[in-house]
This record gives sequence, structure tokens and C-alpha cells, in this order.
Amino acid sequence: MTERTEGPREEATAANTPAVGWMSRRDFLKISGAGLAGAALLGVAGCGGGGGGGGGEFTFTFGPDSSGSLQALVDRFNTEYEGQYTANYREMPADTGQYFDQIRTELQAGSGDVALIGGDVIWPAQFAAPGYIIDLSDRFTEEDRAAFLEGPVESCTVEGGVYGVPWFTDAGMLYYRRDLLEQAGFSEPPQTWEELKQQASSVQQQSGTQYGFVFQGSDYEGGVVNGLEYIYSHGGQVLEDGSSDQVVIDSPESVEGLSMERSMVEDGIAPQAVSTYTEQEAQTTFLNGDAVFCRNWPYLYALVSNPDESSITTDQVGVAPLPAGEGGESVSGLGGWNFYINAAADPEAQDAAYEFIRFASSEEQQKQRALDGSFLPTLQSLYEDQEVLDAVPVIALAPEALQNTRSRPRSPYYSDMSLRMASQFNASLNGDATPETAVQTLQEELTEIVEQGQQA
Amino acid sequence: MTTAPTERKKRGALREEFGNPERRTAYYMILPALFIILVVAFYPIAYSFYLSFFQANVNNVGNFVGLQNYVSMFQNSEFLDGLRNTVIFTGVSVFFEFMIGLTIALAINRAFRGRGLVRAAILVPWAFPTVISAVMWRLMFQDQVGIIQYVASALNIISQPILSDQTLLLIGAIMVDTWKTTPFMALLLLAGLQTIPGDVYEAAKVDGASVMQRFFRITLPLLKPAILVAVLFRTLDAYRIYDLFWAMSNRELESLSTFVYKAVRISQLNFPIGNAASVFIFLTAFLLALFFIKGLGMQTSTEE
Repeated sequence: MTERTEGPREEATAANTPAVGWMSRRDFLKISGAGLAGAALLGVAGCGGGGGGGGGEFTFTFGPDSSGSLQALVDRFNTEYEGQYTANYREMPADTGQYFDQIRTELQAGSGDVALIGGDVIWPAQFAAPGYIIDLSDRFTEEDRAAFLEGPVESCTVEGGVYGVPWFTDAGMLYYRRDLLEQAGFSEPPQTWEELKQQASSVQQQSGTQYGFVFQGSDYEGGVVNGLEYIYSHGGQVLEDGSSDQVVIDSPESVEGLSMERSMVEDGIAPQAVSTYTEQEAQTTFLNGDAVFCRNWPYLYALVSNPDESSITTDQVGVAPLPAGEGGESVSGLGGWNFYINAAADPEAQDAAYEFIRFASSEEQQKQRALDGSFLPTLQSLYEDQEVLDAVPVIALAPEALQNTRSRPRSPYYSDMSLRMASQFNASLNGDATPETAVQTLQEELTEIVEQGQQA
Repeated sequence: MTTAPTERKKRGALREEFGNPERRTAYYMILPALFIILVVAFYPIAYSFYLSFFQANVNNVGNFVGLQNYVSMFQNSEFLDGLRNTVIFTGVSVFFEFMIGLTIALAINRAFRGRGLVRAAILVPWAFPTVISAVMWRLMFQDQVGIIQYVASALNIISQPILSDQTLLLIGAIMVDTWKTTPFMALLLLAGLQTIPGDVYEAAKVDGASVMQRFFRITLPLLKPAILVAVLFRTLDAYRIYDLFWAMSNRELESLSTFVYKAVRISQLNFPIGNAASVFIFLTAFLLALFFIKGLGMQTSTEE
């Protein structure tokens, strides 16, 4: 999904101590060994076990630390627990899909080199089912969980177990042109999708803005999140609540949801090319002042306030939760990152890793990350913290959006489901398939994936 | 003792090969290379073949399923899309590349001022990394900043966005590939043209052959080896197309190679089908090469 890229990357790497640099290189070599898919295929078991050094030393993987705030966090931890625990940060690819591939290959090979994984919210089901990551419900108790936002905690829950701890979050939001809406006589952003269409077309007529609404409709993960937001907000579901194998996408609600998405194009609210849009195209259109509404992630607000990036200013822009469907509620697709612990790591490293989780997800450290890199906290209390609200204004503008999040289907075979959904949602938006056919096809295809998975 | 004559003959041949110290050294010296080829090329291919008959995944080999993977592969609509796109793409783009490439080669084979500069200049598109040119073209096809979309819509040639239409995407991919690899084709053909001695043409002229006759009776037959090499290279290259489709269409246009990537790397369940598809690509590419070499009489060595 979306990746933040702020600040020069070199600085972050330069901040590494020589020791850390050496470690990561050694680990890198180990990985390339394990990473050769051939290694697993050829039965070269090697590379397993051990690793991470002795005592409380362990390796932590995460994408590139572009803001430098991650290395700072690791340093704070290492200083705080000096002589007891040592965390070594290993940089993974910025592209979430590639990171997933790489870490999955490593886990499949049974490697225990990495103890702590900072991973996407959609990973738990895929890692928990084959037993790659451990159930944390004993340590991350119900009491602990109550302090966190509901959506992110839900994303870690698989078949009753809790396989992760939320670190930072992300959610779909509706950006709107406050100035244009006011000129057209609308004092409030739309509550429902239908209202959004009305407002958009009347603003378009009055101001001559090129497009009413832009979002992400391309055949990729972001297209899945957008499609699901329409389905969820009309009361539809993909998998039965709490189940990972009951496919229920073929419902009138899902059809309504996808029909609403398609009608954005049919009614001329969104450009036909929205079916090729990712975050970047949607963002460019909105920042150029060519769209009245834009569905995007919280990161966009920071770009609006940067005159180099944007021809509109924060005075002209408002942020609201996504509209609700007829008879449904507003639902934002959940993004963000959690901590997971590798089941193949040795127990000592696992304990050390959990200490790191406790430390990094604490109020103090989450706040620091929000101030340093605008990462949205997962602790409810921080949403009332004035310093955080000042540093990340988008939180104050649409707090509901971060509360009403729902995750994508939690299935051990999500990767396959995602490919199918991306393609069908895109076909429906593009007019290549009717919403009815799209959900029927998905019902069959997803059921087949579940059945195939049960046989495998 | 009865089989002795042939046996002895064979042994004699062997002794001749290995008895000669110079030859023996030569064999010893290519042995490591042979061994490496066996390990890094032959073994993985053979292993993929073997795996394609099993319900395999990345972790284990799984159950023997016979030809089931190949059957499911041909029932998979995405594989069929990929196969169709790849075949159309290969046929059409290689055809255009050859026609335009030959024209360019004939043109720059003549002596004229600035010929060296022109030869260098036509190589520019080919020198671009494919992914970069694919992204560049995607921007040109795009609906907001894309010049091609703008011109095509203004002239009423098309009404829909190029990037969301499979047919237009495939046409676009063929255009981009032609733009990009025609220079390569031209260069290979030019090299062939320059090996044709000028006196053949002189003699033909004296005998009163027309321009057309000279082209069809002299240039084409003498150029045949170069043409076969160039067309074979391009055909195999186009048949394996991955980067252009993936980057230019943002993964929406399927080819055989993108299908394999999705099945083997992204999907958790389609590994066996993806593996079967990669074996299919290997076999069909191999047959294509065989057709060029045996069927069309391509020379593979300089020994005659």
C-alpha cells in the first residue's frame, strides 16, 4: 500500500553505528542464502536456527526508515536496556509486496534469524495459519488491548488468537475542497455517497472543476481497499464475521456497493480513467485543483501544506470520514503496521523482541514517532494529546475515520484473494463486468481458493 | 570377441580423442565449464520439469498429480489471456520490427554524409532500460498529462482512456516495443548487408538486372543468415516479454511471463500451475528456436 518517503534516506543509514552496519551486512548475506528460493527447493535446510547472537540480542525487520525516526527509536531502546537487550534493525524493501515475499520465503525456510517483524496489517492470517508467528494473547492481554484502537487490534486477531501488537495505523479519508463547497452553498461535507455525488456535480457545474471525485481504482491492492470500502459501507462483507472460510460476498449489499463505485464513472463524477488510478494519480489531480473530492490516506494532508507539491492550500481543504452507503455506515479501509514475533526464533530472542514491542508501542514512544515522522498512533489516549494533534493535524480533522476502520478479509490465502478482488473490482469499475457478475464471479473464485487452501 | 571390430573401433576413436595429450588438456579445461552449466542451467530446468507433475509449493514437493497442472493451466482464463497476448504481441511486433528495421538498414547501408551520426542516433531508444521507457510511455498514455491520449482524443480516434482498455494497451505495447527494438533489428541486418560484396551487384547490373531483381535475387538470399539470427533473437525476446507489460500497464496486461510471476511469487496456491507455465514457456521457446535452426536452415556455426 502507500509508502511514506520523507527526508533523505542517506542520513538514516549514515546514523547507523559501524557495528550495526556490519551486522546488517552479515545478516544480508545470510538472507541471500535463505532467500534463494532454490535453497528451500533443493532441500538445503541450512541457515535455520541460531542467529541473532547470544543473550538478548535480536534482529528486527522493517521497510526503509526514510524519516530516520525508526533508527532513533531503536537507539532509544538499546540505550534504555543496555547490557540486557540489543535490537538490530534490518532494512527491507520499500515495496510492501516485495517485503512480504522476502520475509515469507525466509519464514518458509524455517529461519530464526529474525525475531521481530514489523509488518503490514494484512499479514497475520497468512503467517499465523502455517505457524510462522506466535500467538501473543498471553502477553498482550485483553486489558492491554483495550487501550488500543479497535480496528488495528482486530487486524491481529486470527481464529481467536492475537498474533500481533498494533504499532501505527492508516485509514482511508475523504479530502474535500472546503472553499468550493462553501461557494456552492454546502456547509458540511457529504454524509452519504449519494450526497457526495450531488455536491460534486453541483460544484462542478458552478466552478468548472474538471472532476468531481477521484480515488484509487486500478487493478492492485489499493483498488481492493477502495472497492471494499464501498461494499462495507453498504453493509456487505467478503468473509462471514470472525470466519476465514465462509465466503459471503455475493449479496445485494455488495452489489449496491460496487454499483455505487461504478456510478461515479457513469454519472460523470469521476473520470473514466479512475480505473487506472493509484494513490499517485489521485493525489496529483487533487493537488492540481482538478477535483472536488479525493479519497486518500492521511499522508496527503502533509502534501497539501507544502506549496512545492500543491497548488491548493490547507485553507481550501477539509478532511472528513468517508461517506456512508444507503442504510450503511461510514467505513475506512484499514492500513498500518503491526509487530509480529517469528515462531522459529529462539525463546530468548522472542522475549527480548516482546520487550521491544512493549517499549515501542508505549504511549511515550508512539508519541515520539508521531512527532518525528507523523506516524498515526494506535493508542486511543494519544488522540486527545494536544501535542500530537498539533503535529499531525489530520488526526484532529477526521478522528472518526480512524475509529471506524475495517480490515481486509483475514484469510490465510489473502494474496490469492487480493489478486481476484483487484481484478474483479477493476472490471466492474471499468464497465467490463456488471457489479452483479463481479460479485458472483468473486463468490465462486474465493470459494475455490478456500477449498484449494483446505486441500493444500 | 565377436563384437570386437566395432568395439575396437569405438575404443580407437576414444583413444584418439583422449590419447592425444593436447586434446586431453582441452577436455580437462572445458570440464569445469560443463559442470557449471550442468549445475546452474540443466539441473534447475530438469527439476522444474519434475516438479510440474506434482502438487508442489515452495516448501515441499507434494503429491504426484500427473498432467493435472497442465490441464488446469489450460483452463485458467488468465493463462489463456497471457498466451493470446504474448502470441499476438510477438507476431505483430516482430513483423513490424523486421519490415522497418530492414528499410532502415538498407537506407543507412548507403554512403552519405553524417552516416556515422545517424547510425548512433537510431540506437537511442534501444539503449534505454525497458522499465524506464515503459514508465515514460505510460505517462504519455495517461489521461491527465499524456500527450498521446490528448492527441488521440482531440482527433476523435478514441474516446476511452488508453490505459483502461486491454486492446489499446496491447496495441500500445506493440508500438512501444517496435519503437524500442527496431534499431537492434536494423543494426543486425546492417551488419549482414555489409558482408555482401559489392561486385555481385556490379555483375548483376552488367547483366541488366532491375533494382527489384537485385533486391529479391541477391540481397535477400545473401542476407538470409543475418535475417534468421535477427528474427530469432527478437522472437524469443518478445515471447518472454515481462518488463514492458508489467511497468507500462501497471500489471493489467497479462503475458506468459507475468502470469508465471503472479502464480509463483504472489499467489500462495498457484505455484504448481505457474511452474507448469514456466515449463510450457521453455518448451515452446525451444521449439521455436528448433524451427528456425532446422526448419529454416539457420547456420549455428561457421564450420561448413
